[in-house]
Amino acid sequence: MAVALGLQQLGRQVTVFDEGDRAFRASRGNFGLVWVQGKGAKLTDYARWTRQSADLWPAFAEELREAAGVDVELTQPGGIDIFLSDDEAEAGVKRLQGLSAALDGDYPFEYLGHNALKRLVPEIGPDVVGATYSPMDGHLNPLYMLRALYAAFRRAGGQIDSGGTVQQIEPLGTGFRLQAGGNMIHADKVVLCAGLGNARLAPMVGLDAPVEPLRGQVMVCERIRPFLKFPSVQVRQVGEGAVQIGDSHEDVGFDDASTPRVISQIAHRAVRIYPLLEHVRMVRSWGSLRVMSPDGHPIYDRSVQCPGASLVTCHSGVTLAAAHAKILARWIAEDQQPEFVESFSAKRFDVRQVA
Amino acid sequence: MTGRVQLAVIGAGPAGMAAAVEAANCGASVVLIDEQPAPGGQIYRAITSAARPGKAILGDDYENGAKLTDTLAASTVDHWTATTVWQVTPEREIYMTRDGASHRITADAIVIANGATERPMPFPGWTLPGVMTAGAGQILLKTAGLVPQAGLVLAGSGPLLFLIAAQYLRAGGAIEALVETTPRSNYRTALRHLPGALRTPGYLRKGLGLLAELRKHKVRHVKTATRLQAVGDGRLQALRFSRAGRQHEIACTTLMLHIGVVPNVQITRALNLPHDWDALQRCWRPRRDADGATELDGIFLAGDGAGIGGAVVAELEGRIAGLASARALGTLETGKAEARLAAERSRLAQEMAPRPFLDALYAPSPEFLAPPDDTIVCRCEEVTAGQIRSYVGLGCIGPNQTKSFGRSGMGPCQGRLCGLTVSEIIASETARPMAEVGYYRIRPPIKPVTLGELAALHDDQAAAADRSLENAS
Repeated sequence: MAVALGLQQLGRQVTVFDEGDRAFRASRGNFGLVWVQGKGAKLTDYARWTRQSADLWPAFAEELREAAGVDVELTQPGGIDIFLSDDEAEAGVKRLQGLSAALDGDYPFEYLGHNALKRLVPEIGPDVVGATYSPMDGHLNPLYMLRALYAAFRRAGGQIDSGGTVQQIEPLGTGFRLQAGGNMIHADKVVLCAGLGNARLAPMVGLDAPVEPLRGQVMVCERIRPFLKFPSVQVRQVGEGAVQIGDSHEDVGFDDASTPRVISQIAHRAVRIYPLLEHVRMVRSWGSLRVMSPDGHPIYDRSVQCPGASLVTCHSGVTLAAAHAKILARWIAEDQQPEFVESFSAKRFDVRQVA
Repeated sequence: MTGRVQLAVIGAGPAGMAAAVEAANCGASVVLIDEQPAPGGQIYRAITSAARPGKAILGDDYENGAKLTDTLAASTVDHWTATTVWQVTPEREIYMTRDGASHRITADAIVIANGATERPMPFPGWTLPGVMTAGAGQILLKTAGLVPQAGLVLAGSGPLLFLIAAQYLRAGGAIEALVETTPRSNYRTALRHLPGALRTPGYLRKGLGLLAELRKHKVRHVKTATRLQAVGDGRLQALRFSRAGRQHEIACTTLMLHIGVVPNVQITRALNLPHDWDALQRCWRPRRDADGATELDGIFLAGDGAGIGGAVVAELEGRIAGLASARALGTLETGKAEARLAAERSRLAQEMAPRPFLDALYAPSPEFLAPPDDTIVCRCEEVTAGQIRSYVGLGCIGPNQTKSFGRSGMGPCQGRLCGLTVSEIIASETARPMAEVGYYRIRPPIKPVTLGELAALHDDQAAAADRSLENAS
C-alpha cells in the first residue's frame, strides 16, 4: 500500500489487487516498530536504507494525518534492546559496534547496565542485565498505519479491487494482462507487492522472489497505566495502554496458528523483563507469517525481460513504508535509481550460488 | 494439574452433563469442565442451589435439570467446577484456569458442549447503562431471586422473552411493557411449518400458556415494533420505537433485550473447524456428523453450541456424543453403541420437529442484523455500524479486515458480541452471501489469562523463542 500510495501521488492511476479476507497477511501481524538498531549487520546498505526510512517517517506520518485524517501515533523516543544474560549483552553490543564501524561512527547508541537502565525504566526486573539504547528507534500503531495508507490512497484517486487472488500475469507487447478472480485486466505497468505470493508471481514477468514464510507469534494484553515509554523488540506499550509482546521465529511453513507453548515462553520472558506484567491479562495472541528472503533483507527489482514489471518485497514493512512511498515509488514510476537500491536485487542470491 | 484423561467434556449444561454421564456409565474416565460453581449450564443455572427461587416461579422445565444433576452426582464423572477453558488445540490439549493457576490436560476424546450465547440486539442506545440482555436478567433471578419492582421493559422476540416475562411476573415483579419486534411477515412464513410443529405440540402449548399469563397480569404487549432507540442522559430513561408509522415512547429504568440465542462458536472457531451458515437461524454452525463427530479426530460436539435446539435436544445430543465417544475410546462395543445411538437419534428427530416453525416465527428483524450507522456494534472497542460501512468503502471485504482497520472484535470479548453483526453489515453492503463473507478468525485465549499463569506453563525444553534483531519488525 505504501508503494501504491507513492505512485498514485506521483500522478499514476493505480489499482491494487487484494486477496480474500483470510489471506496470509504479514501486515496484520506487525509489531509496529520503526526500528533501526541492529539491522544491517551483514549488509551495510540495509542499515543505511532503514535509517533513511526512519528519518523520513515524521514527515510521512504528518502527510498521512493530512491526507487520510488518521494519526498513526508515531513516536520515536529511542528504543531499548533488553538482555537477560551477559552473553546476550555481549553479542548485542558487539553487533552495534560493528555497525557503527561500518558506518564511520554515524550510529548513535549506548550500552546501559542494570542500574543505568533502571533509572530510565524503573519497572525492569532483577534478571535484566542491561540494554542497548538507540535514539534512532520508535514505534507506531500498525493498524492505524494500514488504515491511513488505504484511506490516503483512496482519497488520492487510487482503486482497490478485492476480487480475488491474481492467478496469472501475461506480458504483452506493451503492458500486461492480469487474471484476477474471474476478470481480465490490462495494465501498462505491474508492481508485485504480494508478499509470500511474489514467489509464484515473479517468474511470470521474468523476476525472481525466493521468499519463504517465517512464523512469528505476538500477544496483546489488556490496557494498563502507561509505564513504558521506550519500545523494545520484545515488549512495547501502545498509545491506549495495551501492552504488545512478541516475538518468536519459527520455520513452520504456511501455518499462522498460535501455539500455547511458544506463547507461554514469550510470556515467561516478558515477565522476567517487567515483573509487573505477571498480573496483566493476555487478551489475544496470534501468529503471522513474515516474508523472508534468504538473507532477511528486502528484494527490489525491475524486470529486464519484461520492461514495466517490478518487484518489492521486504520483511520490515512498517519501518520501510516511508522509504517505499517516497523513494521507491519514484524509482518505479520515473526510472530514478535511488541510492542503495542496487544492493537489494535478487541477483545477489545468484552470485552466492555461483560462488 | 497436568495429565491425560480418556474423555474431557467442556460445559456442564444439559448436553455436557448427559455426554459425561453416558460415557462414564460405559466405563470411560471422564472429566467434566465448567466455568460455574455448580452444574446446570445457563438453562439450569443454580439448579442445585438452596437459595434459588422455587418451581412455582421458574417452571417445570427448569426442574427437569435436577434429574440430570442427580445422575451426574451418582456417576464416576470428575466434575471440575469454576474452571475456565482458555484454549483447546487440535491435538486435544485443553488449557484452563482454576483457582488462579493454569493447567493443561490432554484427552483421548473431547466433547465440546459449551452452549449458546444470546444474539446481540444492537440498536441506537443499546449500550446505555440500564440496558441489559434478558439472559443477564434471568441470571439475577435464578441465582439471587432479584426482581425489579418498577420501570422494567422487555423488548425483542422469541420464546425465551415470554418465558422470562412470565418468570418475573410469578416472582412478584412488575413489567411496564413487553415490546415485541417480530416482523409481521414472520407469521406468514412460519405458518407453512405449523403442521410439522404439531407433531410435537408440547412447545406450542407452553408458548400459548406463557402468553395467557401475560394477559392475565394485564402486561402492555406491543407487537411489530420497529426502529428501536434507547434514550437517556448517561443512563436509560426511555425506549422509543415506531409502530404502524407512529412514534411511541415508554419511560423505563431497566430494559431487557432478547432476540434469541446462537451457538457459542469461540472454541470451534479457534480450532479452525469448518462452519456452515444456517440461513434460517441466521447463525454459524460448526460442521459435525449425526454422532457429533467433527473433522478433527476425537473431537465431538453436542448441544446448542453446535446448533440451537433447546435443553431437551441438547440432552439427547449429549447422550449421542457420549455414546459415540465411548465407542471411539473402545469402552462401548460397536454393536451395542449402534442400537443405543439409533434409539436416541429417533427421539432427537421427534424433538426437532417444531424447530422450523419456531425458527421462522422468531427470525430476527433485519434492523438488528445490520443496524443503523449510529449504533455501536463492537462494545469493547466502540466501533459503530457506520464505521464498519466506511471500512467496506475503503476496500474491506471481510470481517478479518475490519479488525485491522478499526479494531472491531479485538477486545476482551473476542468478537462474541459483534461477530455476527459485522459480517451481516459487510454482506449487506457488498451484496454477498454470509457464507462467502465469513466470520472472525478467533485467536486464543478464548478467555483472558494472566501472563503469570502463562509463564508458569512455559517449558524450557521446547525451542526457546529466538531473539534475532535482524528480524525485528
